[in-house]
Amino acid sequence: MKLDYIMYSLNHVKNRKMRSWLTVLSILIGITAIYALVSFGQGLQIYMSELATEMGTDKLMIQPKGAMAAGFDLDFYISKEEADFISKVNGIDEVIGMYAKAIEVEHKKQKKYVFGMSLPTQGKEKDLVYDMFTVSMDQGRELKSGDKLKVTLGYNYQFANKIFSKAINIGDKISINGVSVDVVGFFESLGSAPDDSQVYLTEEGMLLIFPETEDKFQYVFARTAPGEEPSEVAERAEEKLRKFKGQKEGQEDFIIQTFEQAIEVFGTIITVINAVLLLIAMISVVVASVNIMNTMYTAVLERTKEIGVMKAIGAKNIDIMFIFLFEAGLLGLIGGALGILLGYGIAKMGGSIAASAGYGLLQPVFPLWLTIGCLLFAFFVGAFSGLMPARQASKLKPVDALRYE
Amino acid sequence: MAMVNHKTVIKLENVWKIYKMGEVEVVALCGLSLEIKESEFIVIMGPSGSGKSTAVNMVGCLDIPTKGRILLEGQDISHMEESELAQIRGRKIGFIFQTFNLIPSLTALQNVMLPMVFQDIEKSEREKIASNLLRRVELGDRMRHRPNELSGGQQQRVAIARSLSNNPDIILADEPTGNLDTKTGKVVMDFLHSLQEKEKKTVIVVTHDPTLAKYADKVAYLHDGKIIKLTKR
Repeated sequence: MKLDYIMYSLNHVKNRKMRSWLTVLSILIGITAIYALVSFGQGLQIYMSELATEMGTDKLMIQPKGAMAAGFDLDFYISKEEADFISKVNGIDEVIGMYAKAIEVEHKKQKKYVFGMSLPTQGKEKDLVYDMFTVSMDQGRELKSGDKLKVTLGYNYQFANKIFSKAINIGDKISINGVSVDVVGFFESLGSAPDDSQVYLTEEGMLLIFPETEDKFQYVFARTAPGEEPSEVAERAEEKLRKFKGQKEGQEDFIIQTFEQAIEVFGTIITVINAVLLLIAMISVVVASVNIMNTMYTAVLERTKEIGVMKAIGAKNIDIMFIFLFEAGLLGLIGGALGILLGYGIAKMGGSIAASAGYGLLQPVFPLWLTIGCLLFAFFVGAFSGLMPARQASKLKPVDALRYE
Repeated sequence: MAMVNHKTVIKLENVWKIYKMGEVEVVALCGLSLEIKESEFIVIMGPSGSGKSTAVNMVGCLDIPTKGRILLEGQDISHMEESELAQIRGRKIGFIFQTFNLIPSLTALQNVMLPMVFQDIEKSEREKIASNLLRRVELGDRMRHRPNELSGGQQQRVAIARSLSNNPDIILADEPTGNLDTKTGKVVMDFLHSLQEKEKKTVIVVTHDPTLAKYADKVAYLHDGKIIKLTKR
């Protein structure tokens, strides 16, 4: 192939610095956005699949339908009777219901509203919960049965200015909706700010401080029996509970899904947002393409005489075509390369912003295919934009082109 | 000078060229016939508007006639496609222009190498040939210079080197001295003359300058699209 065109094209790109840079800039913007967005999308997918495996693929989640978030509104719940019913469904090994409630926490005259959750303290139920949330204690001890007015706290409470302006230590007293309790431990970080600011009580403690939560589980988790397909068990349980509650299909007031399914819903939303942003980035690539086309038409016009000379000394139409296609592709490629660098920087910055906002696990990833794909895409957008101008150049009659001043 | 048994390189047979400018037809050549023989130095002379440029285009295979035939080494090129013509030009004809027409973004060496790029000659080979040619036109120390860093005479010498890079049999020079002072013009013409003398190349010079006639074996006078006088020396 005529790799020598590279030399010719490079010279031209260099010689028309200002115009080349402006053209490069236009494609750079689009590629920057695409690179940063896709690297985040990839990071998110990894984050979610990690989350799913961490939770375990044999678990089911039973939630009241319609609640904004568990614990906000006690009108939505799964009753103890329903939880017991589910535990008897074929294929389900054990079920644990957990209370959750929006609570007011006070420390050194400062008040915050966070979520409180009940944790089981013994037996298979405790195993189930601790199996899902694989974190262990960062400091202090776990809750044990009989701990009525003792709490464990999320990771962030140990530090000043994260939740309260003053850090909380083991043995400190805090007040929950006016009831004074002892802090006995802190969990390790779960990776997100809302999770790391939760307050954990025993079931007894929860019912003592908030008697109104009795029998109103906000979360119900189930473990499926070994050898069972969790999604099939979820369907079966849903059907049985629906009949038990006398509800019609499609009008249930609860959802039973596997963790993978639950995360998928969240993932779909993020994917849609990501796709919309990508679409906007694509529009900017289209604008860049028009810009490259314009630059190349100008270049063809400017170098009409040169084209005539090259044809006179033996350049075939296809040679001229390649020269201009390659030059357009080169503009795209340079824009792509710079866009990748900038996109990498922006994604890294986004990652550290996410980390400082408490989502340390959500980090962009930069697979090789993304980098190579972006480079090729930029090159081909450039070359494609140069197609019509290059055709025009190649079709010039040598006699007319030579006469052009 | 012995002119016996030299074969014909280019033959124009009753060549017509008619341009359409909107509704108006402009006849640039009307029945031009000319025979150019191997290792001949021919000067085609004529005032502006005589059809000189059109004749150059025909001889140089840059354009095809409306009517009539053009034979290049016996091969009829009158109906060839542009890409075929490009191949022939690249291999058989070296062009020298009045305005030098070097590619401004390329160095002298790259300019001389360019015709060989279009003939798919290997890079190392190209570089060797091009630097030898530049040394021959005494520009061995200017190889990495760009055209705008060279004088008019130097640029025309680069152009001559370029015209020779594919070792063509025919050198076609369109007003080669038009943009040069008398002294530099003489250097260029002497060089073209030596190409004919030493390398037996066919040299075709198109000009309106009568002083160049002294280099020629044959002078064709063009007027109103045909040859009105042909003198041999």
